[in-house]
Amino acid sequence: MPVLCRTGCGKKAVLKRPKTGDALCKECFYHAFEAEIHYTITKGRLFNNGDSVAIAASGGKDSTVLAHVMKTLNQRYKYGLNLMLLSIDEGITGYRDDSLETVKQNRDDYEMPLKILSYKDLYGWTMDEIVAQIGRKNNCTFCGVFRRQALDRGAAMLNVKCIATGHNADDIAETVLMNVLRGDIARLKRCTSISTGSEGTIPRVKPLKYTYEKEIVMYAHYKKLVYFSTECVFAPNAYRGHARALLKDMEKIRPSCIMDIIYSGETMAVKEDITLPTQRICIRCKFVSSQEVCKACVLLEGLNKGLPRLGIGKSSKAKKMLEEYNAKQGHTTIKETMQYLDNNYTNIGNIENCLSNDKLCKSRVCKVSKNNTQLINISGKCNNGHCSGQCKNNQFSKDKENKSNTKINILLEQYELSETSNNVTVGPSHANILNATDLDNLYPDQDEDSCSGTCGKMGSMQIGF
Amino acid sequence: MSDCKKCGTIPGTILLRQKDLYCTNCFLANVNHKFRACIGKNRILSHKKQIENVLICLSGGPGSAVMSDLVCNAVTLNNHKKLGLTPIFFHIISSSDDMNVARSIITACNKKKHDIYLCHISEYLLAKKNKPIMNDIPIINKEADTKFRNLLNDMSSSTKNDYLIKIKRELFIWYAKELLCNIIFTAETSSTLAVNLISNLSLGRGSQVQHDIGFCDSRNDIKILRPLKEITFEELQHYININKLELLKEKAVHGNSLQSVIKLFVHDLQDNYQSTISTICKTAEKIGIQDDNNHTNKCSMCESCLSDTEYNLSALEATNYSRTVSIDQEKAKCLNNPIDQHSMFPHVKKYLCYTCSKNYLEIDPATLPVHFKHLT
Repeated sequence: MPVLCRTGCGKKAVLKRPKTGDALCKECFYHAFEAEIHYTITKGRLFNNGDSVAIAASGGKDSTVLAHVMKTLNQRYKYGLNLMLLSIDEGITGYRDDSLETVKQNRDDYEMPLKILSYKDLYGWTMDEIVAQIGRKNNCTFCGVFRRQALDRGAAMLNVKCIATGHNADDIAETVLMNVLRGDIARLKRCTSISTGSEGTIPRVKPLKYTYEKEIVMYAHYKKLVYFSTECVFAPNAYRGHARALLKDMEKIRPSCIMDIIYSGETMAVKEDITLPTQRICIRCKFVSSQEVCKACVLLEGLNKGLPRLGIGKSSKAKKMLEEYNAKQGHTTIKETMQYLDNNYTNIGNIENCLSNDKLCKSRVCKVSKNNTQLINISGKCNNGHCSGQCKNNQFSKDKENKSNTKINILLEQYELSETSNNVTVGPSHANILNATDLDNLYPDQDEDSCSGTCGKMGSMQIGF
Repeated sequence: MSDCKKCGTIPGTILLRQKDLYCTNCFLANVNHKFRACIGKNRILSHKKQIENVLICLSGGPGSAVMSDLVCNAVTLNNHKKLGLTPIFFHIISSSDDMNVARSIITACNKKKHDIYLCHISEYLLAKKNKPIMNDIPIINKEADTKFRNLLNDMSSSTKNDYLIKIKRELFIWYAKELLCNIIFTAETSSTLAVNLISNLSLGRGSQVQHDIGFCDSRNDIKILRPLKEITFEELQHYININKLELLKEKAVHGNSLQSVIKLFVHDLQDNYQSTISTICKTAEKIGIQDDNNHTNKCSMCESCLSDTEYNLSALEATNYSRTVSIDQEKAKCLNNPIDQHSMFPHVKKYLCYTCSKNYLEIDPATLPVHFKHLT
């Protein structure tokens, strides 16, 4: 005997809802599904009338359903939202390239503007290239950290009030479990809040917070929504995988446990005497960070220096790694620097100018090389933000060993890191990268500041960790 | 074989965490130290001048075997380190097949020249509980016993495991009062507590973690302490082997339940990542209670504070709305009015906490003891 719809509409039920155990027919399920998201949006006060909202779209089921439902509800309940899609292209061949096609399809179907940002443009690396460096383990760390920031950057470009992400109830419950297993109390506290973001940052909201993954799949399936369902080719994120496996096992026994875990997370409090990291702004890229320098910058630095494991694991390990790196690099770079300087003097022949430019620096470099410390910076003239923006590292870009510098230069040009560098004080033991500037771009009238780079106060390429 | 990691003179014989070798003496000293430090650090016993009566709850499992040994050793010391408490041993007979376990516990206790009190778990349902019987198995109340079994049989295994913990807690407190104890010792190890933490979270008891997993459960005037909190299951087993303690029964988790899945998971993960349990326990220590003061309402079943913080939107409201919208779509149009008669959470926030309210759905209210009459 067929089960009838619980609402009493007389139709045959097609599914049993995991959250409440009620059986519903297709139409009643659509209605209930949408009404619940409307309830979450209204009760959680996620949006204000007239807001611009970016929907983080991956092309997967969650974001496709989110875009569809948001569009439907926006029309039905007159939210007055200006919706747009925001996608991040991580550069994963065989995964993201295909899923972006789905997003483009969504753009056309739902008539929303779409913005795609790529890791290649933002960071100079695709995930394919990163995986080639780091291997299959830990690559999700890069992808996750970069995507978080990339979404912030994209939202800033689109000038939206908030970002809506497709995190569903399963994702959140899984994150709670994972943060318990990892002992990450700060994330445990904030991972269940429906809207995250401190002052000055663009908040992220989760309209699907109380929606089960199962129902999302059913909704997309019955509504015949086009979505991309392939797993990421680099997917196995070991630790999250454990939490996911546990949650799936528990869900089989008691489907409501997902809501129960979320309730636990919502009502749980952190003891008062526990100090939590405060969110602040990365001194390099000016995006949200819990450290002086954000994780994205650390990871990127590691990649560019050929130390891809720099940002993985404890920060003390990173420090040690950098010190070793510097000790190794210090030796060769000093020689190269000297050679480079010699070459320039002879090549250009305008020794007078160079001498005046590098008057102080020269003495400093000599001193440094005698002491065999690592502080070398021949950025010379290009302070006050001029250098990082315009100078190209022509000579050194040809040099294989210093290939990373050009990459950094490009990034610096794009994101105006030089502004921040004034705040960075770099001691002799800190990391430095040679910044050989193109002499054509030197400004002789800025002599007086020319040394500051080498003294450690200034220098667009200096990185303080 | 390499030398003991601690003293460095004697070859180590006990391997912990798959890498650290200890000699027997250093190992035993360490376990004893952890036990004493746990009690001493929390100052609940030590700041009291007079000798306290402490109800030592024994289940017959490995934890309680070690706990009773540690307590007995600590109170028979003849120096300044003597533990200032009078142990009163207590055992709850969980089911009729447990009679043999109960008999062995009596024998084991008497061997150490201590008395032990016993009661049946079905006393929970009785309005007028019988006095605990000393050194003998009490007469069973057949009617209560059948009623109790029916009560449990109607529940899912996950609820049963959770509810049994609450029943035992209530009985411990009741008998502690009866036997003039202000403090209760239970024998959860760090491994058990790690499993309990995740179980608590997945049942919706996230806000009760401090009392359920921390060192001290202070929801009642009679406090429940967990002095084996820092000791791992691995250490227990070595301790039992060295001291040739008698194991009376293995700890049982009912059926295919959330708790059994979590237990399996945590132990598997612990085998691969040796710091799993300690990380989970460290996390538990940092979880507290939302605004502890001025709560007058307590859950009738677990005595947890019923938070009067009004959440505009939480999983509770969302679940209730899901129920409303799945039953009556017209009513669901009003977002502020979830219907009461079909609520997924009876008596929630008024008399019961979120999880106890869910448990209540699986209980026939007529079987509940008298002091729950307000729920029917």
